[in-house]
Amino acid sequence: MREVLEGSQAVAEAVRLARVKVISAYPITPQTHIVEELAKYCADGSLDGRFICVESEHSAMASVIGAESGGVRSFTASSSHGLALMHEMLHWAAGARLPIVMAEVNRALGPGWNLWVDQTDSLSQRDTGWLQFYCSDGQEALDTTLLAYRLAEILNLPIMVVMDAFFLSHTYEPVDVPSQADVDAFLPPYEPKFLMDTKNPYALDEVAPINVYMEMRRSIQMAMEAAPGIYQAIEDEFYTRFGRRYGLVEPYRCEDADIVFVTAGTAAATARVAVDTLRAKGERVGLLRLRMFRPFPAEAFRLGLAHAKKVIVLDRNCSFGAGGVFAQELKAALYGPEAPKLYSYVAGMGGRDVTVDTFSELFTMTRDQDEPPLGSVWYGVNEEMLRS
Amino acid sequence: MSNDSVNTFNVSLFFPKSSTSTVTNKTGTWSFMRPSYLEKTAPCSVHCPCGQDIPRIEMLVSRGQIAAAWNTILAENPLPGTCGRVCFHPCEKACNRGQFDEAVSINAIERYLDDAAWAASIAPAAARGSAKGRRIAIVGSGPAGLAASYFLSMLGYECEIFEAAEEPGGILRYGIPAYRLPNEVLDREIARIRALGVMIHCARAVDSAFLEGAKHTYDAVFLSCGNGASMKLGVPGEELALDGLAFLRSAKQGEGAARTISVKPHGSAIVVGGGNTAIDVARSLRRLGVSPTIVYRRRREDMPAFEHEVARALEEGVRMVELRAPLALARLDGGIELKVQKMRPAGVGADGRMRVVPDGDATELIFADALYSAVGATHAESWMVPPDDGRVVRLSHAAAFWDAPVGIPLLYGGDPVNENESVADAIASGKQAAIALDVFFQKGAGAVKAELARCAVGDGTSLSMEIYLGGPRANRSGRVVSFKDIPTDYFSPSEKKRGASLPPERAIASFEEIESSLDAAEAAMQAERCFNCGICNDCDNCRTYCPELAITALRAGRRDDWSTEAGPARAINSDYCKGCGICAAECPRCAMIIEEQQS
Repeated sequence: MREVLEGSQAVAEAVRLARVKVISAYPITPQTHIVEELAKYCADGSLDGRFICVESEHSAMASVIGAESGGVRSFTASSSHGLALMHEMLHWAAGARLPIVMAEVNRALGPGWNLWVDQTDSLSQRDTGWLQFYCSDGQEALDTTLLAYRLAEILNLPIMVVMDAFFLSHTYEPVDVPSQADVDAFLPPYEPKFLMDTKNPYALDEVAPINVYMEMRRSIQMAMEAAPGIYQAIEDEFYTRFGRRYGLVEPYRCEDADIVFVTAGTAAATARVAVDTLRAKGERVGLLRLRMFRPFPAEAFRLGLAHAKKVIVLDRNCSFGAGGVFAQELKAALYGPEAPKLYSYVAGMGGRDVTVDTFSELFTMTRDQDEPPLGSVWYGVNEEMLRS
Repeated sequence: MSNDSVNTFNVSLFFPKSSTSTVTNKTGTWSFMRPSYLEKTAPCSVHCPCGQDIPRIEMLVSRGQIAAAWNTILAENPLPGTCGRVCFHPCEKACNRGQFDEAVSINAIERYLDDAAWAASIAPAAARGSAKGRRIAIVGSGPAGLAASYFLSMLGYECEIFEAAEEPGGILRYGIPAYRLPNEVLDREIARIRALGVMIHCARAVDSAFLEGAKHTYDAVFLSCGNGASMKLGVPGEELALDGLAFLRSAKQGEGAARTISVKPHGSAIVVGGGNTAIDVARSLRRLGVSPTIVYRRRREDMPAFEHEVARALEEGVRMVELRAPLALARLDGGIELKVQKMRPAGVGADGRMRVVPDGDATELIFADALYSAVGATHAESWMVPPDDGRVVRLSHAAAFWDAPVGIPLLYGGDPVNENESVADAIASGKQAAIALDVFFQKGAGAVKAELARCAVGDGTSLSMEIYLGGPRANRSGRVVSFKDIPTDYFSPSEKKRGASLPPERAIASFEEIESSLDAAEAAMQAERCFNCGICNDCDNCRTYCPELAITALRAGRRDDWSTEAGPARAINSDYCKGCGICAAECPRCAMIIEEQQS
């Protein structure tokens, strides 16, 4: 049924439809609407689950780790500093091979205090062993949450569903909410492969001596490597049931494009309009939207960019001392004599607008430049302020 | 470790999971520290002259175990009804809780316990010890003599008390006003002591000749005659002063008797002195309708009287003139004219008290209908105190003359030999003399000091009869628990309460007892405030927080019968104890220690 929902509500709907049993979270803007909605569901009985109030995000993640260890499907949501505070427990969730799903609303980290969109919070967690999917609208946030539970429970790895602060979390859009019966058919009740069980006692997450630790790490990496293939298989099933699919990366008018934009989140929706505008002027331009970031879908990018001469990467983040994270990762994935030239731009951090004009300008700059500069170019910065 | 690959996608799942029981992992081998249960000594007990086991008493009261609590007092103090009313309670000054919010109401709880035990007709557990075939004569039935007879009876000695007055009790009966200690309370305490077989001969004054012949009937004599002779003012006109002690004695006999030597109602009186007697005289006069003024040569804060008694006197309308020393008394218009010298503070003396010196030659005249002297008392006759002989052994609360010329040991106790003149210190001297005598008879004079040191409570001078008799308390460490040893996160602030007091205007209308007892619920709540410093109360924090489940409860739940079981009923399994120390750190009562392991 189509409803007009806020992005946060779309995620909450998915969690309800997934019949999650335990939710634990600590409020933080701009994530709070998600868990407020879920708290309401738990209270009014529309979701048969327990909402565990905690004193911090660290405890929120610890609570869902406990719930999943007990064999129960669980959920949390966070953002920015809250996610940073979870960091230790994020490693634990992955190492313990718990299929937790969380919504992560991309927000800048302070100081200076800033509530708006920025990808630095989620990208700071890229090495924790969590899968990451970046969404660009409310429908995708709902669908990805359902897909995430299915995928996580096959891989026994946790998944972050990432969405832009406000532009997505607080924006109302028409969203097709699937029926409970259809979701139940796609996402069966969670059958844990192990759980804390007093009738069949064993120890979990204990000391791993030198002779086994590395094998455990390798097992996580193997599961990550298997993820793209498995994801595509379950997305095929999702498509047959619901008629929607997204892919690991989503190409738009890339077939004959010489220059291709690569970006993630709501900026990608803007980029699509820019592609149309530029195409109308006769430019051979396309968009390859990054959706899955961990594991990094190198193969999908190589295929998607096989014919491109130049790639424009727009990062709403910066790894200080290196540059835009997406650009670095993509550069590494494409490395070789056949690789297109990669132009890295840092833009739109801390909620600054990324408009159709932004993409048009980046396109012109890139088209007119034979060789990319070393490192990332910061776009739209008021150099005046930095002079003092 | 397992390698579960059960789903159709065959995803690798090798992670920390093991069916091997942790029992095989003897984490105790990692340890270099070792915790253990070691009950310690509470500062209140150290400062209680009677050495009462206060943390245990409070714990028992908090659980409503009145009989056990009352008997815990009786193990160390035969006069809880008296002490619960008149003790200056140094325990409360030492109470660790005082550094958290307010000290525990130890004194009021003692009072409650004795009243509750009396109301419930609880039988005291203390019994006469197996007969040792020796007889002890005790001179004086004040608190020191009563205590000596009580403890000596517990140790199996036959005791006879000789009392000059018509009734037993000494200063308790004749010196402490009824509004602080009613005679009925004293009577029931003395009845309990008599029930142990102590014979009290009243109206039987003894003299030095008695001591000479005592060896024919007795194996030792304990002299606890008190300070019955008032000290002189030492100024011209002295004979015009009335004796404060004598006044108190008659006041205790009844209002009418008091009037015969007192002034008429609505008259005025001067009370000279700054000790408890001066305060008692002034407050008693107030109850007879007189307006008393206390004249004291030093400052109010230098008075030897108990602080709370001084405060109460002021509330009741007693006036106070500080820094005035009597120079002369004269008769004037049927009243008294007192000439006083103005004094001024002149630095702290060697005894720690503020010295005073005449403030130039300024003098003043004070008029009143009568003047009472209460400047201290001393022993009435020289044989009542230890002779100036090098062979006399001075102990903290008593003196012992083992080879006295009379042929049997003479021991001395009570105010004449005590540094601090209080009921509790008098009881302490009776206990010290009883233990000393028992050691003397069993092991000889040479063993006395070491045995007394063994029975000391903590690092102080108080003695414990339970420790002497080898009771469970003997297993405790003498280390005194300090405030910083208590993890105060386990306690919340709460209000200290004593029994209700009559308002001053009602209090001065009669000799009715001022303070009433706490009720059972209040007493339990007040006792619950106690940190129970140093003793295990089965809270089970150690077992709850042990990360290795290395602590075993030897007994399920909490002890029911505390009279036979004491000490922690927990064991630490050294196979698994890593020595992390959480148990010891989280013990709210500091009843554990952690030490480096001895290899």
